[in-house]
Amino acid sequence: MSSDAPPSTAVSAAPSRKEPPPEEPHDVRRRSYVILSFWLIVLLLGLPIWWHTTAIYRASLPLDEMGEWADWKACRPVFPLRIAVQASTMQDGEGQNLVKLTQHALDDLNDFSWHHLRLDLIPPVPVEPHAAEADVALTIRLIPGEPMEATLHPHLPILDIKYPPNSPPTPSSSSSPLATFIARELRSKFAEERAIISALLSKELRPARSMQYSPTYHLTFSLFTSGSTPNTWEIENAISEYMRPVLDILRPIHNFTIDTQVQLYATPGVQSQSLEKEDLASFINAAEWPLSPSIAGAPTINFVVYIGNQTIGTSSKSWMIPQWGSVYLLDSQENPVGVDELKQPLLTFTSHLLSLLGTPESGSLPLKLSTLSRVRSADLLLRASSTLGSLARLSLALPSISIPSSVADGVSKTMKELELACQNLGNVQGLEHARIAEQEAEKAFFEKSMVGQLYFPDEHKIAVYLPLLGPVGVPLIIGLINELKLWRKARKG
Amino acid sequence: MPFLVPPELHCLARRGEELAQLSSTSPDLEQSKLSHPNETPPLSEFTSKNPANRKRGRASINGRTTATMRFSISRLLTAASIIFTPLLLQSSPVSASSSSQEPALSQSSQPASASTVISSDSEYHEQLVLRPLPQSALLASFNFRSNISVSAFEAQNFRFFPRSLGQILQYAGTRELHLRFALGRWDAESWGSRPWDGAREGGTGVELWAWLDAETDEEADQKWLILTNALSGLFCASLNFIDGTRTTRPVMSFQPEGDHPNSTIANTHLLHGTLPHEVVCTENLTPFLKLLPCKGKTGISSLLNGHKLFDATWQSMAIDVRPVCPRETEEGRGECVLEIEQTIDMVLDVDRSKRPRGNPIPRPPPAQDLKCDPSKEYDSDNACFPADYALGQDWSLTQIFGKTLKGTCPLTDPNIPPVCIQVPNSRHIFTSLGNKEVKDPSGNSRCYYLDPEGSFEMVLPPMSKDGAQHTAESELVKGETPLLYAERSFMGHGQERGGVQAILRNPSWDTEVEFVYMESLPWFMRVYLHTLEARINGQKTSYDSVVKEIYYRPAVDRARGTQLELRMVIPPASTVFLTYDFEKSILRYTEYPPDANRGFDVAASIITIRSPSNGKRVPAGMRTTSLLLNLPTPDFSMPYNVIIFTSTAIALAFGGMFNILVRRFVAADEGPEVSVKRMRNKAVALGRKVAAKFGRGGKEEGKKE
Repeated sequence: MSSDAPPSTAVSAAPSRKEPPPEEPHDVRRRSYVILSFWLIVLLLGLPIWWHTTAIYRASLPLDEMGEWADWKACRPVFPLRIAVQASTMQDGEGQNLVKLTQHALDDLNDFSWHHLRLDLIPPVPVEPHAAEADVALTIRLIPGEPMEATLHPHLPILDIKYPPNSPPTPSSSSSPLATFIARELRSKFAEERAIISALLSKELRPARSMQYSPTYHLTFSLFTSGSTPNTWEIENAISEYMRPVLDILRPIHNFTIDTQVQLYATPGVQSQSLEKEDLASFINAAEWPLSPSIAGAPTINFVVYIGNQTIGTSSKSWMIPQWGSVYLLDSQENPVGVDELKQPLLTFTSHLLSLLGTPESGSLPLKLSTLSRVRSADLLLRASSTLGSLARLSLALPSISIPSSVADGVSKTMKELELACQNLGNVQGLEHARIAEQEAEKAFFEKSMVGQLYFPDEHKIAVYLPLLGPVGVPLIIGLINELKLWRKARKG
Repeated sequence: MPFLVPPELHCLARRGEELAQLSSTSPDLEQSKLSHPNETPPLSEFTSKNPANRKRGRASINGRTTATMRFSISRLLTAASIIFTPLLLQSSPVSASSSSQEPALSQSSQPASASTVISSDSEYHEQLVLRPLPQSALLASFNFRSNISVSAFEAQNFRFFPRSLGQILQYAGTRELHLRFALGRWDAESWGSRPWDGAREGGTGVELWAWLDAETDEEADQKWLILTNALSGLFCASLNFIDGTRTTRPVMSFQPEGDHPNSTIANTHLLHGTLPHEVVCTENLTPFLKLLPCKGKTGISSLLNGHKLFDATWQSMAIDVRPVCPRETEEGRGECVLEIEQTIDMVLDVDRSKRPRGNPIPRPPPAQDLKCDPSKEYDSDNACFPADYALGQDWSLTQIFGKTLKGTCPLTDPNIPPVCIQVPNSRHIFTSLGNKEVKDPSGNSRCYYLDPEGSFEMVLPPMSKDGAQHTAESELVKGETPLLYAERSFMGHGQERGGVQAILRNPSWDTEVEFVYMESLPWFMRVYLHTLEARINGQKTSYDSVVKEIYYRPAVDRARGTQLELRMVIPPASTVFLTYDFEKSILRYTEYPPDANRGFDVAASIITIRSPSNGKRVPAGMRTTSLLLNLPTPDFSMPYNVIIFTSTAIALAFGGMFNILVRRFVAADEGPEVSVKRMRNKAVALGRKVAAKFGRGGKEEGKKE
């Protein structure tokens, strides 16, 4: 292009343009070195410093293991259920064969991997069988009699099975109606527990009714009155009479604190005289009724007695609000409200409390309680592991989120506790480990320093980098391009 | 993990979930599912657990490590060097004085004494005392008091004592609690002494002090944190922002009001926090009313209305919880009770309150309605000096409060008149039928026993204009002269040097007044204590004669504020000017609030009068107004300006250096020709090239070449 002859009008321009003297080769080389060293400084010093100072600290999380926990690949949870069989009236061989056959029948029937029922023949104890034997979930007492039937002991974890004299298998026989009967009975006794845990496992169906597990619950009993009377109630005596026994039984699993209050001039959220089913949802006037939430980390379960002029459409007077508590409409104008009048409300509250805690509905009380502790362990395990899974997904989904080392610590602690809980499933330590695991997982997940850098917009970054990188970067890049051009020319030439 | 979320928020947030799952499962009601109209599909694990969704109101109280210092005044003045002597932080065992419970037999015009005539037997009582003040102001003092026996409190069986508060107190190990929400300024010059002698008053914003049960300071801080967080949820106030920088441990100013056994008082810690910036409003009144047994539905609390309360010239809401033990009698000691006293004092502007809501713009009254002071010599038809007293202040309860008083709260002690008004007995007052009026023999107060069912209306009619005898005395009960007048203001100049001046005046002609003046200043006010100076009546006098004792705890940047307590004595009829200088520090960029140019609120100073006590409540006190401190405020686009400026400098330096190193220098006629013509030619050639490429094809170009 430069060799183009100037047009005729430009003759008067510099008549003789001198070419600059040819460049010394060492000058050319020096220039290349200068550019090269600038680029080396930028790449070897500038970039690492920039990277180091602006990088977000992300502690390395064992993402794969966390995912494995979430998918239950890391540990296969099994509740070992030891069933003691007491066959005092049978001969040894008969008894052993019966146990063997029943075990076979059970193993054939069992399609639920979390339960492992194991039968043991125990020597006949002359005195009343000791129910508190820790690792025995249920004791079966075989009593000869007609017809073949099973009855649960109301206060002890004992299943009495009557059997006709011809039904026990001989030591050599390979099938027995009694064995099948026992297997079926056992299976039906654990059917509800199985259903609850399966519901927990299928994540869409979280238990809607029961509260989250907590070692302590606050029970709040409130008397709401539409007017100024009644304003006293004998709740203390009523609680100690009707509710305390159940609370005492639950003590190994939960602690309870009890407080009571009286609130006058309370208007419910629904004013109509007769309450329909749709109205029950908005009956609690959350804006005005002082039903304050939990304090000290323990959830509150509310039990509300409302004295007003309202009735429910059906004959019932009470309903339960899942994960919150229960309401009872009492029809009383006496002041104070006596213990007798509080009997029905408190009995209702007791049964609601049990279902709010997640106790199964069938079975005798000791069986219910042991089921409750197993269900709670399973629930906590599932919560903790799914939180781990969420955390793993979160850290993958948000690459700009910072992960402090406390989160990594929490995760490793959670996994250790999960491991322990999984090994000790079915006993008290298992529950305790599961509880710690769940707490640690929640703490790790809700670590607040993780969100600090999350909302730093890209515009700010441009505003910070552009003024510096523009004027510095352009000469560097053009210098590099020129140098490359020259180098190519030199190679061609 | 304790999550302390405001209950309303919490309740609302939770209710959504619960209602969606509500199913009626009572044993005697058939199983049925109720679906909530707003039922939403279950959120995925990830979205529902986004950490940003969870609210956190945690603040940390930094540990106090610096030793507390006490200046010895004499040394400060005599010795060349200041000698600090460590002060033992033991609070002296306080005698369980129950003087506040002592039945006050003297009939003074104070609302305090009007309602202290109450035995602690009744579980609940309430009373409203109205007192017209000069300049068309009206003081309304609401007082509600309920009890719970200590055993019932420990068993958590709450009846009239609010459970929500009781639970918090129990959990935070609080022995005695005082909480104040205040707004406005008490005009002591014209209104006289304060209601309750200032014992139920707080500084502007929120003030909280409590005696906490704790073995160590750290434990006390922990419990204080729990208490402030829980109360902030209960009262919808930002109390959780009372952190280490806003917390002090007063040494001289506060004494417990309740009866504490000597064994427990040794283990209690007094902590005090203020939030001068907090705007007190309706959302604080609603939870306050919820604590009352009658909930603002009946009784005097039915008059309370956020629109009027927060429109008041001055208002103070107080909650005081203290243990009260009955006097030892011959049958032995009765059971101690925990008493909660809720007080609302407000000074309403009668004219403003009477303004109709539909037409709230004030208009000048016609000339004949002006209230003039005829004692002025220039008073004529054309000149009017506004009357100092509200000549013929006339109003009715409904006009003033915008609501009617609905009966009485049925729980209240029937022997206590619910409504009292302090006007001279000679004034006429009309009330609705069915109420009993009882006039006080002192001639300055009357009370009303209300009809429990009907609504109560009271009308204060205007005084007849023609009667020549009406004076201020015949119309108003004159307020008592306060023991002390106090005001405080900023001095100093510029962005760096500041000063504080407190003017304290003892109006009495014969008695000296002893009090404790306490300042709790933010850390960014760096106080120079050596500039502390007290002048009596404008003359520099001996320092010792006024300031008897100083307790000073210097600030630590970003960790705690300055605490300054002065025990002072002011001789009769003299004014003390207390001044000190401070330096305004520059904050970090992120420490400025969004409205940095508005200024920073400095908490009111607290004055606790120790003597003369002359039969009044011991902790008589007052608060000065809060101050607004202007700090040097940067331009908040500064970081980007700095970035651009330094970048430009770097770019200039770098560009020059790089070019010198890389470019080759040749003589002017050796380099490529740079001229306009040449550039034009270049451009033309380029244009041709482009046209050739896209136009007729490459043939012509080939020919030319």
